[in-house]
Amino acid sequence: MGNFFNAAEVPVVKANRLQSSSLNNRMVNDYWTEVFNAKAEGKLVCWYEGVAINPLMQAADIRWVHGEAWSALLAARNNEGPAQEAAEGRGYMKELCSYARTHIGCGVLAQNRGVEASGSSFSDALGAGLLGERVPAPDMFISAYPYCSTGQQWDEMLYRLFGKKIPIFNISVPWVWGNKKDAGYLTGAEFKEATAYMVRQLKECIKWIEQQTGKKYDYDKLSEIMAYTKKAGELRMEAIDMCAVKPAPASFFDWTTSLAPVNFVPGGPQIVSYFETVKAEIAERVRVGEGAIPNEKYRLFWDGIMNWNKIGWLANKFAGYNATMVAGRYTHMGFWHEHECIDVNDPLEGMAINYLVCPINLSAPLMIEEIIKLCKKFEIDGMVLHAARTCRAFSNPQYLIADAVQKRLGIPVAMIEGDMVDESFYKDELVNARLEAMMEAIEGKKRMIIPNAA
Amino acid sequence: MSVDSSVQGIFAAFEAAAENPLASSRAWKAANGTPVVGSFPMHFPGELAHAAGCLPVILQENHEPITVGHGMIYPFYCGYTRSVVDQACKGDFDFLDAIMFGDHCVQVLGAADVVRAKLPNTRVHFYQLISSMSDPWSHSRARETFAGLKEGLEEMIGRTIDNDAIRASIRLFNRNRQLLRKLYDMRRSGTSPLTARQMQLAVKSSMVMDKAAHSALLERLIERLEATAATRQRGVRVYLSGHFCQAPKLGILDLIESCGGIVVDDDLYHGQRYISTDVDDAGDPLDALAKWYLERNLKVPCPTRVDQNADWETYLLGAMAKSKADGMIVLMAKFCEPHMYYYPEIKEAFEAKDVPHLLIETEHETTALEGIRTRVEAFLEMVKRQTIAKAAAAARLETGVV
Repeated sequence: MGNFFNAAEVPVVKANRLQSSSLNNRMVNDYWTEVFNAKAEGKLVCWYEGVAINPLMQAADIRWVHGEAWSALLAARNNEGPAQEAAEGRGYMKELCSYARTHIGCGVLAQNRGVEASGSSFSDALGAGLLGERVPAPDMFISAYPYCSTGQQWDEMLYRLFGKKIPIFNISVPWVWGNKKDAGYLTGAEFKEATAYMVRQLKECIKWIEQQTGKKYDYDKLSEIMAYTKKAGELRMEAIDMCAVKPAPASFFDWTTSLAPVNFVPGGPQIVSYFETVKAEIAERVRVGEGAIPNEKYRLFWDGIMNWNKIGWLANKFAGYNATMVAGRYTHMGFWHEHECIDVNDPLEGMAINYLVCPINLSAPLMIEEIIKLCKKFEIDGMVLHAARTCRAFSNPQYLIADAVQKRLGIPVAMIEGDMVDESFYKDELVNARLEAMMEAIEGKKRMIIPNAA
Repeated sequence: MSVDSSVQGIFAAFEAAAENPLASSRAWKAANGTPVVGSFPMHFPGELAHAAGCLPVILQENHEPITVGHGMIYPFYCGYTRSVVDQACKGDFDFLDAIMFGDHCVQVLGAADVVRAKLPNTRVHFYQLISSMSDPWSHSRARETFAGLKEGLEEMIGRTIDNDAIRASIRLFNRNRQLLRKLYDMRRSGTSPLTARQMQLAVKSSMVMDKAAHSALLERLIERLEATAATRQRGVRVYLSGHFCQAPKLGILDLIESCGGIVVDDDLYHGQRYISTDVDDAGDPLDALAKWYLERNLKVPCPTRVDQNADWETYLLGAMAKSKADGMIVLMAKFCEPHMYYYPEIKEAFEAKDVPHLLIETEHETTALEGIRTRVEAFLEMVKRQTIAKAAAAARLETGVV
């Protein structure tokens, strides 16, 4: 028998992806079409990145361009090259966040075209031509980046790129570090203070939005949007919990393709309906014992941000190993996962809490405890840590996480290098070698345990 | 501490502290029984730690190869971050009574988590400074942060810190900054024979030594320099920009000067950036520190902050004109994200004004100095020719002979 985990001998297996995720693609396309039509429809456009502050803008009838989402879309459609080259042409170096480089590159393309903040029109249908040129120029920026200093600078550089003429609002998101003994996940005096500080800034941001639109802010509309968002968050987490069974009916890769509705798609009945459909499909799979891969033997956890260039390829690769990537920090520790904290009648505090506990904004000790809980809940056999070369925010605590799960749970890990949207940092053979070693270790451990148990 | 009071002797004392900062502060702690508070660069108000009876020490990148630290941090991080992690892993920080910091560069935050994990018996406290400098609440938030830091220090020493004590520390730190700025003025005006290496040693040692002891040395140094008529140095006048958390390697500074450059001014953190701004020594000290924090960014804009009232590139063009520099050398620490973000702004502004600059990327690991030498020589030659050509054109205009 050959080495089963050798990449050359691993059979080609297709992951059994959720059927309902195709609905997500439709919502995403609709959303971008609305964005492209914004100027023609006389709507203001806000560029932002980081946490999901889009409900704030939706309630004010502003269209929004989420930098990471836009960069990920370009990468997923193999259209990131021209924007990244435009950024490089202006002197932005390759070691900078690839999301930022791609998004700033779109800004450079817009500048090259002489696009002004208002009056430009991009009404072409999504899917043809140079996507990077189609994003409408901003009328405002809101910066609300947790943990990562790069986020705030990215917005600042866009602000400067557009000649410091477009208004910008900065929300400073405190890192949940924990100086004091009472500091814990969602608890302690520092967390309470950080939440109050965030709420104060969100209120200031709303006043600023009123200045930009010249209209009174519609708090009822915000409550309505947040009611849909809360419900979507709740359904998503319920569906995620259903994946604790064996075989897991959906994988981390399915959850990555279901992020848009809880990240940047407008809050409305469609996002609730989407997660109802997802949940129903998962329930059916649980009923009939259908897994996210054809033959689940191993269960893995993905730490780190997604590698958007490789998503389908990776899903199939792990299916070939008979390993379900059941859970992940990126998908399971963010995106309205603390939906219970949201009071729809007064949503700002609950929004602030969700922003503060997003998957990068916890210091390592707090983050590790949450990861360990997930590993136990989903009965994880091994962990893949994706070191995204240009996302230090995600890569920062990975050695500490790897050390903790190995020592406390005894599970093997594999650290692989890649990137979010810059494929050049990814090397197949290195990834293969590390994954093979981890899979061998998992298999070895299982063999040791079975005879003893017998 | 008895020190040879010749210029050479004073620099030997600066060098001992600057090049071995941990040994120097450990010795100070042993001799004086003073708790030592380490901080990360670049905006930590050492005045508060000093007022608490501690020796504030800014933790430095060291010259050691990074070995065990690579088991805790990826290689694609700046040299400062990797070096700090390596030092923590090797137990070099074990003698520190606390590490406190307030800057939120994402790479430093990664290092902070590792440092806390490696030093379970040390207070590793974070007081996050607002980095958006021109918001209506930037001042009040900075003040709140400094109040939290003061509270943390009080908890550590078990007593409250008196406002008068903070004011006294502010005065002491101001005096030190003023003396260092005097050295800078002398360099700009050509009345100081000090090299770029010596200027760095003077500033870097101030970051790790007791301020009173350091100021005493500076006073003697300035006296000696004022008593000696400096011979005017000849060469291409160079402005040095960049390098934030970590000091540029002394070998690079020597190289620039050996190629015929004279460093006349800089905005380095181990230079002008560290000493640019004094703190008001009257009134509420926390208010004064918050004001200092915001004003400092207007004096020497920092790319780690966002500030609608400051432009680093405009500042640099002005600083070059003020110091009559002919060209600028940008020293960029590899993987330094704030610098990489801002560099295109500088590049564009300098090219638009036809002011020459050269970008050099530096690394913790030994940089290939000979490769840099070729580039610096070519750059200085180009600047020299350009300067001569400009002077000739100006003379032609003046005489009317075109």
